[in-house]
Amino acid sequence: MKQTILDYLKKYDFSFIGSMYAIFFLGILNLYSITHAQTSSKVESIFGSQLKWFVLANVVVFVVAFFPPKTLFRLSYWAYAVNVFLLILVLILGEKGMGAQRWLVIGGFRLQPSELMKISLALALSRYYARAHPEKMLLLKDLLIPFIITIVPTVLIVLQPDLGTGLLLILIFLVISFYKRLRWKSIGIISVIGIISGLLMYNFGLKEYQKKRILTFIDPQADAQGSGYNAIQSQIAIGSGRFLGKGFKNSSQASLNYLPENHTDFVFSIFNEEHGFFGSIVLVSLYLILFLRFVWLAGAVLRFYDSVLAIGIMSIFFWHTFINMCMVMGLMPIVGLPLPFMSYGGSSLITFAICIGISTSLSNSRNFF
Amino acid sequence: MFGDEELIKIHKSRATQVANIIIFCFAIVFIRLWYLQIYKGELYHTFSIQNRLREETVWAPRGMIYSRNDQLLVDNIPRFDAVVTRQFLHDKKETLKRLSEILQMEVKDIEKIIKKNSFQARYRPIIIKKNIDLEEVAKIETENASLPGVSVETFISREYIDKEVGAHALGYISEISQAQLPKYQKRDKVEYKLGDFIGQFGIEEIMDKTLRGINGHEFVEVDALGRKKKYINTDNLFKGIENRAPKPGNNLKLTLDRDMQKVAYKAMEGKSGSVVAIDVSSGELLTMISTPAFDPSKFSRGLTQEYWSSLINNEEKPMGDRSIQNHFPPGSTFKPFTAITALEEGLIDENSKIRCHGSFRLGRRVYRSWRRWGSEKVDVTDALKKSCNIFFYKVASEMDIDVLARYAKMFGFGRKTGVRLPREVSGLIPTKEWKLKRNGVPWQQGETLSCSIGQSYVLVSTLQLANAYAAIATKGRLYKPYIVKEVLDNQGNILRATQPELLRRIELQPKTWDLIHEGLYKVVNTPKGTAWWRRGFGNQMAGKTGTSQVVRAQNDEELYSKCSEKEYKYRHHGVFVALPLMTIQKLLLQPWLNMVVEALLPRLLLSRRLLILI
Repeated sequence: MKQTILDYLKKYDFSFIGSMYAIFFLGILNLYSITHAQTSSKVESIFGSQLKWFVLANVVVFVVAFFPPKTLFRLSYWAYAVNVFLLILVLILGEKGMGAQRWLVIGGFRLQPSELMKISLALALSRYYARAHPEKMLLLKDLLIPFIITIVPTVLIVLQPDLGTGLLLILIFLVISFYKRLRWKSIGIISVIGIISGLLMYNFGLKEYQKKRILTFIDPQADAQGSGYNAIQSQIAIGSGRFLGKGFKNSSQASLNYLPENHTDFVFSIFNEEHGFFGSIVLVSLYLILFLRFVWLAGAVLRFYDSVLAIGIMSIFFWHTFINMCMVMGLMPIVGLPLPFMSYGGSSLITFAICIGISTSLSNSRNFF
Repeated sequence: MFGDEELIKIHKSRATQVANIIIFCFAIVFIRLWYLQIYKGELYHTFSIQNRLREETVWAPRGMIYSRNDQLLVDNIPRFDAVVTRQFLHDKKETLKRLSEILQMEVKDIEKIIKKNSFQARYRPIIIKKNIDLEEVAKIETENASLPGVSVETFISREYIDKEVGAHALGYISEISQAQLPKYQKRDKVEYKLGDFIGQFGIEEIMDKTLRGINGHEFVEVDALGRKKKYINTDNLFKGIENRAPKPGNNLKLTLDRDMQKVAYKAMEGKSGSVVAIDVSSGELLTMISTPAFDPSKFSRGLTQEYWSSLINNEEKPMGDRSIQNHFPPGSTFKPFTAITALEEGLIDENSKIRCHGSFRLGRRVYRSWRRWGSEKVDVTDALKKSCNIFFYKVASEMDIDVLARYAKMFGFGRKTGVRLPREVSGLIPTKEWKLKRNGVPWQQGETLSCSIGQSYVLVSTLQLANAYAAIATKGRLYKPYIVKEVLDNQGNILRATQPELLRRIELQPKTWDLIHEGLYKVVNTPKGTAWWRRGFGNQMAGKTGTSQVVRAQNDEELYSKCSEKEYKYRHHGVFVALPLMTIQKLLLQPWLNMVVEALLPRLLLSRRLLILI
């Protein structure tokens, strides 16, 4: 009996959970550093509640990891359907916050269906691709049904409005389709369509504040004290770290409140300010290792569904990480996407925990089932 | 149908491409990090320091100004202003409400002030209330945390102890204007900023560089809302950022005598005119008063619109310095110089007597004396004593205007005295050439007659007149008048002392000097002298009266109508030059002159506008 538990633990893939711990460890220290200068009650609430959410996230990881991929496969469409239904519910009776309807309150528990939709979409697309002529290369017309699967929740989310998450769903769809051997020619056509529709949307579809963000990104100095403020202050924070950084708890940009939202979207800036180029290489490498581990997983699993799902889950992580970093470094407009395991926030933490759980489950399935 | 294993295998290449794309994306991230942190790191590091350090100017205390007897004339007094910086205003409504309670102002008024200044950059503090008291300062400082964007700024206000007394000589300081900025930057090679105070008049203007010192700066750590965190001391500061203590300006010791200034001002108060007193042995200016004056302290506090328009709309032009920036016909006070010319050129000697008829005819024109009845025959000293026009007309009828001009110019007329004060006028001594050039008409002998009694084209400033008489008093020593005696550092060490500068030694026959002195003595000290009634105590003073005709009389009635019946601006200018008697013989003794001034001034100044003392 003792032997089997040890065996089980030996075969259990802790690499994803380990990555999560490593990044979260840096993240929680960073949050502590950011909040230490503020009033004690705020430190309590941010630092403490992030720890509580992390405990819950651990539970979620192990519970989700307990479900074998087969079960996930079976649940895929259901999860997708329920999630779309929740998105509709949000639009009808969602709670308003920060100018958007994103939350559903169920028995005192605040649920953000758009967060979960990222996972549900990856599940649904993986199941679809695993069944519909998986051996063929994808043509443009083959994209029709996956596109509909993607665009329905996307539209619902954009209506909230949450443009960032909406775009993220499309990016996830693109990565998964790319992996499912979308022909290069089709990729070219999609790129052209993407650019044209992007331009159209900018001119007709975007709200004033969204346009402003994009303009700000192009020239942050134009309104340094206004909408360009965050972008400039963030770059100053990062750059001022230089090679070794200003040291733990020594961020002037954070402690003096120059950078608003510094515990959510701009954690990476503060981390860079305090730990410099050296620290950021360590952190970014941790992410890189995690993503490459996903790609490895996609090739190592036993079923094609698992493989596609691994890429899908990876793409969720990847886009969050890449977009967040680019945005704080002034390479992209400011969109409110958190940095996985670094940013403060319960619902994103739980979402990523589910992802880690799924990937652990996929990896374990090679050895156990 | 493919098996799962084969499916995964045929997707292997795509997996590799996905990995490559990820690596490519992260390469971008790394390059960008390298660019920001290593390549531009120093720059951003500087930015981040500047971000939280606000440079605050520490004004250098402006040098004080003392009188010749070390009495303080101009002082610096710290003043507190409540300011609002829009950049840091967070909860505008709440903050302004609290601020209005502290300052006891209406929120509406505060908003109006902010709106009025909204064209300025957002980081520029806007002064809400000037000169707030210490209680208000304390309240704002203690509630600093709940009043983001509100702060107290210390200014040093320039206080002129005697207010209007000597305002024109001392001058004033006020904020540099946009138009002045490039001019003064070029002049002083100092990077002035808007908001800097700069000397704009009088000594404050001329000695600005000496007085102003060098401003320092201090770095204050502020958060994103502009609240001060703590003062940075120089030790743990980053490279290149240091506090700099201000270098105080140098003090000045003037030649002016405060008591004399006050007496002179009191005598002239309510009238228009100027008083200049010169130490004949050196050219030191003891008194320099011009009325009506302004209160210079008000300029450094920031002028109110009402005060400014009251100055500008005043017909008597209080903003002009009548002692040097204004010239006028000297009238009979010019006669001694005509007499000197005549004596030196041999037109007359001490024995020449001329019958003082009521009128003198030259060609077809009749020149009248100021007395209609004729008087007895007079020599040159009596002519001066009685200010007999006919005597001088007769002398002038044989005189060449260019010769008169040469002598007048010897005494410093017709050009600036060179006193270190701004915008001095040069006056005018006409010559034939000058008139031909100006009017295109040749000189007429009749004009020489007018000039000989200080009318017509002859124009002098009060200071010129005083200085020329000083040369008479000293028998020919013409000094360059000066007002700054010493420049001292703030410890009181003398850095520079102005030395008397002898411009010219006027060489005349000793007899000429004696005759002129005698004439001037008689003016005051013998019966029928024009200043007999103003003689004061005993034989203490010599002098010369004068009436300068500013507006030419149209007819006899107007000419002889009583001065006090005319409109103020049409009245003749009264001029009096007093020479304390002892100065003629020796040196001027300070306390003694004081007494003369105090005793004489009230009686000297009836409806007259000018008085000159030397």
